[in-house]
Amino acid sequence: MKHLRILLGAALLTAFLLAAPGLISAGDKYQEMINCDLHAGPCTLALSENAVTLEVIPRPVKAMQDLLFRVTLTEKLPHSTVAPYIDLGMPGMNMGPNRVQLKAVGDLVYEGRGVIVRCPSGRRTWQATVTLPDGGQTRFIFDVIY
Amino acid sequence: MLSTKTLYLLYLSTGFAVGFGHCIGMCGPIVVTFSLNLKEKSIFFPQLLYHLGRITTYVALGGLVAAAGSLTMVAAHIASLQKGVMVFSGVFIVFMGLAMAGWLPISRIFADYSSPRGWISRWFGRLLKIKSNIAYLPLGLLLGLLPCGPVYTALLGSARAGMDAGSAYHGLLAGMGLMGAFGMGTVPALFLVAAVADMGWLKSRAIIYKTGAILMMVAGIIFIIRAFRF
Repeated sequence: MKHLRILLGAALLTAFLLAAPGLISAGDKYQEMINCDLHAGPCTLALSENAVTLEVIPRPVKAMQDLLFRVTLTEKLPHSTVAPYIDLGMPGMNMGPNRVQLKAVGDLVYEGRGVIVRCPSGRRTWQATVTLPDGGQTRFIFDVIY
Repeated sequence: MLSTKTLYLLYLSTGFAVGFGHCIGMCGPIVVTFSLNLKEKSIFFPQLLYHLGRITTYVALGGLVAAAGSLTMVAAHIASLQKGVMVFSGVFIVFMGLAMAGWLPISRIFADYSSPRGWISRWFGRLLKIKSNIAYLPLGLLLGLLPCGPVYTALLGSARAGMDAGSAYHGLLAGMGLMGAFGMGTVPALFLVAAVADMGWLKSRAIIYKTGAILMMVAGIIFIIRAFRF
């Protein structure tokens, strides 16, 4: 009886060990929200009259490395003295405030440096919320390599 | 730019919000392990010492990152250490679960030492009892190194504060202070989880206690798997 219990316990443990990695990665239900492949190149989303293009360099986009965020607009901002900014986070999970402050480097081009941190949960879906002062917000949801 | 006082408040409130929104899920199994394993003993001082240790590590990391002016540089150096800590915490949780369920004949390192016979055992038991509370401090110091997204985010802010400060000394102090504020903010949520797990009725029912032990083992195994995938 004792041996049977040990065998049963070992079998359950083995089954769990084999199944767990799949269960953990399947937990990233936010993958289906991805609207942008930043590994491939810049992404463009419409924001009322404007079109916002986000580019992250270097590619592919990896966590825990210094990244350059470039935002290009098609229309001038109403208050051109105030630069846009990006808030980095994960959909459905509070990762704390991580803001990339952008600076104008051209007429309609803004750049800033930031880091996408790594989440030990294994979830790799991140979002960059680009805010245009007095112009609204748009969310780029993308995959990050860990 | 935000004033120093505002930044500290922001970090404290961020820690508080992240504590309830993130830490409960990620670090909950650790504090639950402590609570369940302490049995009839008060959880207050062990938990306090654990959090003190954890915050001390955050403060040290904050100072380090602020002095370096870069999170990525420091993170690259401590990545393997963090992986080791994650494996250790997973193994620790599994062992505690096994001991709680009575499937492992090891003395409960952080729990009560009942019925010691003879003066040597009694003396040793008392010594271990003293150690059992104190041991939570180095445990907190070590587990403060656990890789954690919001901690990394807070460290990013510390690195920026370090760069924005007028001198290296002020940068170091700012980085340490901000991480201290962040760490303190995370304490209420984890204390609440520990207190819920400490509820008498939960511990008094053998079946619930054993289920808790099994869930702890599962959580520990997930920790280990995550460590190898990290």
